[in-house]
Amino acid sequence: MAESYFLLAATFIPLLLAPVAYAIGRKAGAKSATWFSFGALAVSTGLMLIPAIGVYTGQQTVYVEQYAWGQFGNFGLRLDGLSLPFALIIYILCTVIALYSRPYMVHKVKEDLPGHGNGGEGGAAGVGGVGHGSSNDPSVHGSHAPPSENIESSSQATVLDTQQYVNSQVALYFALYLTFSMGMLGTVLATNLIQFYVFFELMLVPSFFLIAFYGYGARRRIALMFFFWTHAGAVVLLLGLLAMGFFAGGFDFDTIRTNASNIPAQWLPLIVFALVIGLGVKLAAFMLHIWLPYAHAEAPTPVSALLSPAMIGIGAYGLLRLWMELLAGTGSYEQYSLYINMWGLATMIYGGAMALMQDDIKRVLAYSSISQMGYILFGLSSESILGITGGTMMYITHGLGKAILFMMAGSIILQTGTRSMSKLGGLAGKMPYTAVIAMIGALTIIGIPPTSGFMAEWILFNGVLQTATAQMDPLRTTMFALGILATVLSSAYILWLYKRIFFGKIPEHLAHVRDPNWYITATMGVLAALTLIIGVYPDLFLNPITDYYSDVMFQGQEGVVLPVPSQDTGTELGVPPENTEQNSGGGVETAGAEEEGQ
Amino acid sequence: MTSIGFEGIAINVWLVWVLPFVGAAIIAAVARAGHRARDYTAVGFALASAISAATLMPLALEGAEVHSQIPWISSLGLEAGVLADPLSIIMTNLVAWISFLIMVYSTGYMHGDKDLTRYWFFMLFFIGSMQLIVLSDNLLMLFFGWEGVGLASYALIGFWYYDRKKDYVGVEGHIAGGIPMWTSPTHAGMKAFLMTRAGDVMMLAGMFLIFVYAGTFGFVELAEDPAWAIAMSQQNLLVPAAVLLFGGAIGKSAQFPLNEWLLEAMTGPTAVSALIHAATMVKAGVFLVARIGPLFFALASAGAFSVEQFFEVIAWVGAITAFLLATQALVNPEIKKVLAYSTGSQIGYMMMGLGIAGLSVNFVEGFTAGFFLLISHAIFKASLFMGAGALLHGVGSRFMNDMGGLRHHMKKTYVFMLLAGLSLAAAPLITLGFWSKDAVFASVLESGYTFSQPLFIIAVVVAVMTAFYTFRMLGMAFFGKKSRHIEEMEHRGHHVHDAGPRMWVPYGILAIASIAIGVIGFVFEADLEHILGEYLAESFGIQGVEEASEEAPLTIAPEGDRTWFGLNPIAAIASIGAFAIGGALGYVFYIGRQANPQIISRSIVTRAIWKFFYNRWYLNSALYWGAVIGPLAIYRFIWRYFESTIIDGINPALQQSMSYMSGIVKAGQSGITQTYLFVFAVGIMIIVMLLFL
Repeated sequence: MAESYFLLAATFIPLLLAPVAYAIGRKAGAKSATWFSFGALAVSTGLMLIPAIGVYTGQQTVYVEQYAWGQFGNFGLRLDGLSLPFALIIYILCTVIALYSRPYMVHKVKEDLPGHGNGGEGGAAGVGGVGHGSSNDPSVHGSHAPPSENIESSSQATVLDTQQYVNSQVALYFALYLTFSMGMLGTVLATNLIQFYVFFELMLVPSFFLIAFYGYGARRRIALMFFFWTHAGAVVLLLGLLAMGFFAGGFDFDTIRTNASNIPAQWLPLIVFALVIGLGVKLAAFMLHIWLPYAHAEAPTPVSALLSPAMIGIGAYGLLRLWMELLAGTGSYEQYSLYINMWGLATMIYGGAMALMQDDIKRVLAYSSISQMGYILFGLSSESILGITGGTMMYITHGLGKAILFMMAGSIILQTGTRSMSKLGGLAGKMPYTAVIAMIGALTIIGIPPTSGFMAEWILFNGVLQTATAQMDPLRTTMFALGILATVLSSAYILWLYKRIFFGKIPEHLAHVRDPNWYITATMGVLAALTLIIGVYPDLFLNPITDYYSDVMFQGQEGVVLPVPSQDTGTELGVPPENTEQNSGGGVETAGAEEEGQ
Repeated sequence: MTSIGFEGIAINVWLVWVLPFVGAAIIAAVARAGHRARDYTAVGFALASAISAATLMPLALEGAEVHSQIPWISSLGLEAGVLADPLSIIMTNLVAWISFLIMVYSTGYMHGDKDLTRYWFFMLFFIGSMQLIVLSDNLLMLFFGWEGVGLASYALIGFWYYDRKKDYVGVEGHIAGGIPMWTSPTHAGMKAFLMTRAGDVMMLAGMFLIFVYAGTFGFVELAEDPAWAIAMSQQNLLVPAAVLLFGGAIGKSAQFPLNEWLLEAMTGPTAVSALIHAATMVKAGVFLVARIGPLFFALASAGAFSVEQFFEVIAWVGAITAFLLATQALVNPEIKKVLAYSTGSQIGYMMMGLGIAGLSVNFVEGFTAGFFLLISHAIFKASLFMGAGALLHGVGSRFMNDMGGLRHHMKKTYVFMLLAGLSLAAAPLITLGFWSKDAVFASVLESGYTFSQPLFIIAVVVAVMTAFYTFRMLGMAFFGKKSRHIEEMEHRGHHVHDAGPRMWVPYGILAIASIAIGVIGFVFEADLEHILGEYLAESFGIQGVEEASEEAPLTIAPEGDRTWFGLNPIAAIASIGAFAIGGALGYVFYIGRQANPQIISRSIVTRAIWKFFYNRWYLNSALYWGAVIGPLAIYRFIWRYFESTIIDGINPALQQSMSYMSGIVKAGQSGITQTYLFVFAVGIMIIVMLLFL
């Protein structure tokens, strides 16, 4: 048993309070449900911050709460330099977006009400392949729900009044939302393979319902597709996890890490394959990204803002934890990293290129997420502490930046009723707050200082280049060059998106558009402030991450993973042996000069 | 050289770049207190920053340095810091005071614009970022400023984001190589951002390479210990890294081949153009070269390896750009674009000077020449742009054909633009432009570089063109008859007149300064050379020839005796000759109007050349085909035939194969007894046959 219960409470408070949120929502209305959920998540975040501060200040490198869990070993929750950034970003986003959800979901539920708007058109969306169904104009105001879905609710609506219906729907939304948050946090804090899998699937279920109940277009079909693909990925992952546990003689992370070398060599490629494919589906890596543009575009926007930045990045966390950390002893990382690197590059460029082809704001952002996941893969497989740190920072920065942009998309949908960029334009003057904050989000995704995006990107690419120069590998050098050029592609699709929404002439029917209410602008503003703060002072997150990577995760693996270059060690790289003495002399001199300086 | 924390004079150094950011941060809040308060605050912060910069001036004159560091990214061992050495102190003052004058000018020029808060925000942001570039002591922090100016220019070029026709640049209907040559402000902003981004990417790659080997971004640290450079040069990576860094400068300073964004950047308010061209943005690239040039030069001599290719690249890129853009300036009808081309061309000269420095015996001379030209160009180009803004304001058109004969109506603007224009055209002996350009000529001639002659010829040819297009611009705007446009305006009761004092005072000051300093140009140059020479010797151990000859009296003095006002006779004759030829031609065609410029359309050859220049050497078209239309077509192809058919086809395909398989399975469960019995019987028969055979 653990001595303290902060993480346990942080993880399960949202789950336990989910029914309460539902009850409150039904009885007291959407506003109360929002603030209740917000409160629950805020308290949970606060609880998580207590051990997080311990990890941050270096009092405890690793903070674990463990409970016996029968045959599976231990059920544990672990906060360390690796899970801390993921966990914090997930909960920060969940907390902030809970507030954002209120105006959006109330509007969305009302819009879906039977008899509201011109519900006729949406019927077409249900017919035919998913692909074509959802790329039908998803944007016309009030036509999102296929009428067939509303048969049950229309009988309800005749009995209850509209308000009651809205309340119950929003209440259900928040109940699912809280469960979803719990699932995501549980996954990144897990210390046991089975536990990891359970939470991994637990976050899938509520997100399935969130899309199926509140989405756009052919939402049920898309929810099913989303469920099908990610579940199929998870099953592949499970096979890998079971094999790992079987060979290592236990499901606890610690057991596996110690016994990783017991895994027979012929099984190792299979296990790695299972992990990479299973998590690759979640990450929406190139060729496994089939589900993502649909799910992200058609999910209700607050959910998109969670799915895209927070959820799919958990795939990256899985790779870090399950593959790179637990299987570190097997040598599989350096064996396969080059392929993952290429895959990341392909994802990066492909996502960016496809983002340029979209007209739907949310689909641009969805493809952009694919591209950004490519960056993360690119960093994780770089074989250098800098690159891996950069990949982790990329999760943080993408989490914040993409959430802001999806929230911007939501704000546009809410105020204009469309998300097709060909129908938008010139909104910068009409929606100044949205425009300014969206600009910060856009810069975060492009990677322009002083946003956190730049911090992530430079560290990431520096790491990739470090490996390329250390190995003198023309392939890796080329990939670095292509990768860093791909950032221009990112700038292109983001700026073009921005130009088409906010610049140019205002279409006549949008002449009276205004900024949405403060629930939306303020929540966006909070995230924007966060990305600026991290961009200027990245130590907030960087410290625990690099400490953990260099002192715990890759300890004793200096040959595999390159350390952070420093003024004393930097020049050792690639210098022929006869010069080593001279160089170390130079290093000492420099150190001396520094001391003098101080 | 010591490094101190946040104390003493170091605070002033920090304030120089922090103050504009503070101003930017509070400007939106101040705007609630009223427009007047907002405008005063914006200008006030620019002034405060300029005053802090001025307090550093004594340091530069003493040749002292301030290096102040504070902790930043501790996990990677990086510190934030400012470095105020003579180079950056001179630059920071130049930026600060010119920016301040432009801010004052803006209060007049932008008066009444409804988005002035946003304007002030980005102007202050612009100035702050530029000062950050100048004062930063390491490449990473410099890059913050670097992207900051990029962002600010993006926002200001596209300032009039509602894309009204009158804010476009280019001649409507002008199509070259299938590409429209007129663009909206937001398009131009995006173009500028993406093109400079391409340069920034190169710069990042160069920075990373250096960081991997040196483990630091700091200029001082990099100079202290050449071990990293030796290691890099052993692997032939030092010159590539340096050239990649220069790639950033190519992008920001609009050098060939990333020069095309600069012309569209004219969609911004003219005050912004003045800021971009005189003090910030494009000068950032030159400053970067001035920062890293001596560093690499000193490292090379310390480590006994060569970085000559790096300086060759700089010099040639500069020469090509200078020529390329000067030819285009000859034919353009828009006053702001002529000035923009001329900026690119002049920056080419600066690059030439800085590049030749590293190729010559006397590093200090070329370095001084390049930097001197930077200073003088900043002064006269700011003046010219602000004057052009006043013209635009008065006439309401960006085309020079719509002006003409304005010397009687806009006397002050005429006089000041003439003075600044003489400086641009390098009128001998009395203008800043002359002294600085002559210094570049001399340094090219005296360099001893193998290909110094072709470089010199290019430089002289460009000088001829410079004088010509300057007179063409002045002639078309101020001389000759009134254009029909102006007559129509007068007919409607609008009388063209000079702008108010808030506008003409700033450019008046700068125009007079360009002449006043020009009169004592040789003294100024000698002082600058002295300061920079000491700085180079102190910080990098690069000795000027004079100092070297004191130590070793037998060293052969550089060829070309500098006797007459310290001028190199060949260079001086060449530059006076260039001014005379170019100026005379310009005078004949556009001021005296003895000849009609239409004569070029008579011959097919001259007409073809004219068209080639007018279509910008088709570079813009090539850029669009190669970097925009081409890739987009490829992406569209992939989108249509891969993403939309194959990837999206996976779902329906899976679904159909499932229903097909279920059909097969279903067929076996039809519930028809005869079928079951038949299959059963066949099965029995097969088993029986198997058993018996």
